[in-house]
Amino acid sequence: MEEIVCTGCYLLCDDSTIEVKDGSLRSLGLCRLGHAHLESAIEHATPKAFVRTDGKSNEIAIDDAIQQAADILLEGGSPLLIGWSQTSDEVIKEGLDMAARVKGFFDSMSSLGTSQAMRHEMHSLKLEADLEYVRNHGEFIIYWGTDPSESLHRHPSRFAVLPRGEKIPEGVESRTLGVVDVRQTETMKIANHRFIIPIGSDAELLETLAADITGTSKIDSDVLGIPATEVIGFSQRFQKSDCTAIFYGSGILNSGKHADNLAGIQKLVEAIRSIGKEAFAFPMFTEPNSMGVIKHVADVTSVPCSIDYSSGTGVHNSDVTALQKLVQGEHSTSLVVGDDVLAALPRPAAMALAKTRIIYIGTPNAICDRFAEISIHTPDQMLESGTTMERIDMVTVTLKGLTPPVGSKPTILEVITKLNAAIHDRGGVK
Amino acid sequence: MKLNPMEMYNLLPKTNCRQCEPKTCMAFATKLALGDVNPDDCPPLLEEGFEANLQKIRDLVAPMQSAAETGIKLDESKCTGCSNCVVACPVDVAAEPPTSEGKAAQVGTTVFWVENGISKIINLEKCRRFPPNRLNCRVCEQYCCTNAIEIW
Repeated sequence: MEEIVCTGCYLLCDDSTIEVKDGSLRSLGLCRLGHAHLESAIEHATPKAFVRTDGKSNEIAIDDAIQQAADILLEGGSPLLIGWSQTSDEVIKEGLDMAARVKGFFDSMSSLGTSQAMRHEMHSLKLEADLEYVRNHGEFIIYWGTDPSESLHRHPSRFAVLPRGEKIPEGVESRTLGVVDVRQTETMKIANHRFIIPIGSDAELLETLAADITGTSKIDSDVLGIPATEVIGFSQRFQKSDCTAIFYGSGILNSGKHADNLAGIQKLVEAIRSIGKEAFAFPMFTEPNSMGVIKHVADVTSVPCSIDYSSGTGVHNSDVTALQKLVQGEHSTSLVVGDDVLAALPRPAAMALAKTRIIYIGTPNAICDRFAEISIHTPDQMLESGTTMERIDMVTVTLKGLTPPVGSKPTILEVITKLNAAIHDRGGVK
Repeated sequence: MKLNPMEMYNLLPKTNCRQCEPKTCMAFATKLALGDVNPDDCPPLLEEGFEANLQKIRDLVAPMQSAAETGIKLDESKCTGCSNCVVACPVDVAAEPPTSEGKAAQVGTTVFWVENGISKIINLEKCRRFPPNRLNCRVCEQYCCTNAIEIW
């Protein structure tokens, strides 16, 4: 058995082991999602390249595909370079360099949610504790608009709810769990406080709690149809706990009221801190390296969102996002890297992307793969060793891969590096 | 599904014959519902006239008897491999201390470990519910979000 880092979700679990013997895989510690991810990665570990002409896909040499991709990217005006949040830090950095060379737009799925969360002014409150701190100190854990039981299976057992820590000697017995959502979730089963609230009412509940904690407005009647006694009990738990960790997900960010909801979380954190207790808030996302994209993009423009290199210099355009430009038909060519964005983008953006000339680099069987003019299939990042990803708390995790390597060469990093070199050889976009 | 002692009691002969170890029919019904005794341990129930009741009780306790000695049933189709059972189990924490910090069980000395993405019971005899301890510990069931673990 050898150690591996799971890239199935943003937890980047590094405590699991696997064994590949006689074509069969055995894992210990990987959740169902991680094991399925690894099975798929091993099954599709052989790199291949395809070119699609007149609707027919034909296999070609990978180096030829890279050269053709370089030509297409340089022909296509200002291309959109999108994906990235499931690739390593090294691939992201190479992608940013390439975006500058082709004077394109660099964007990722992190722009939908993660970026909004990380750009919010609440980060001036210094919310960046790491998950180990939560494990060691988190006394009151809140899942708000997120259900780890569905997509981040090991979140409660590894960091937030069940494990023991320095100030949490009895593990789950020393913690309290609260779950707030618009529907019944599986995680509610193990929660001490559970609230099902009307859609769009998150900000109201957050502000009510903040006001009660600071004493500016005490709860004296039902809130959102929830009995006052239950909400008061919830509020009192915030006041009694020495350290509160709020994990918020797409229910907060993609409900159409993300600004109000994030402001509500900020008020709640401020209220808890105003009474001398610790409080932190963390976004919950499933993509393994959303934070890698945020980190490296912020290094260029200081704004963790899409970057416009069309003028030759990387800038963040706050008026028009890359996706809006895509919908407006301003991109005729797209490079999709390591992420099946067609499966995740809002419909108008997905429809617009499908109409561009797509170059896809990543694991096979993606929807993007079916629409791509050039497809280069590379082994999954989980099989790579030495490259890095950023966990949601910005802790850098080095991928371990397998020994001997199961994935054959070239890796996604080698393909992107060669493509960047081919563009460089052609002089980039003048 | 848990068995209701009153339902069991209503199906017993209710003679309080004191031929069984619990001595009274109510105590026998309670132990029947917990899986501590078998229907065949009640001599009057085996007598003529109680065939239908005996069969009904056997049908009710049959799933529990399939749950082995501890009464734990693990439905792999519902399991997400979240490791909640591994980290919550007091035996696991003692057997492999890193699991107390949320780490994956690796050594093979725990009651549960997660293999191929699914929780598996690998040392049933270490469970605190296993004879002779027979403690009424239910933490694995309590913290299983998907109800993959059920204790009869």
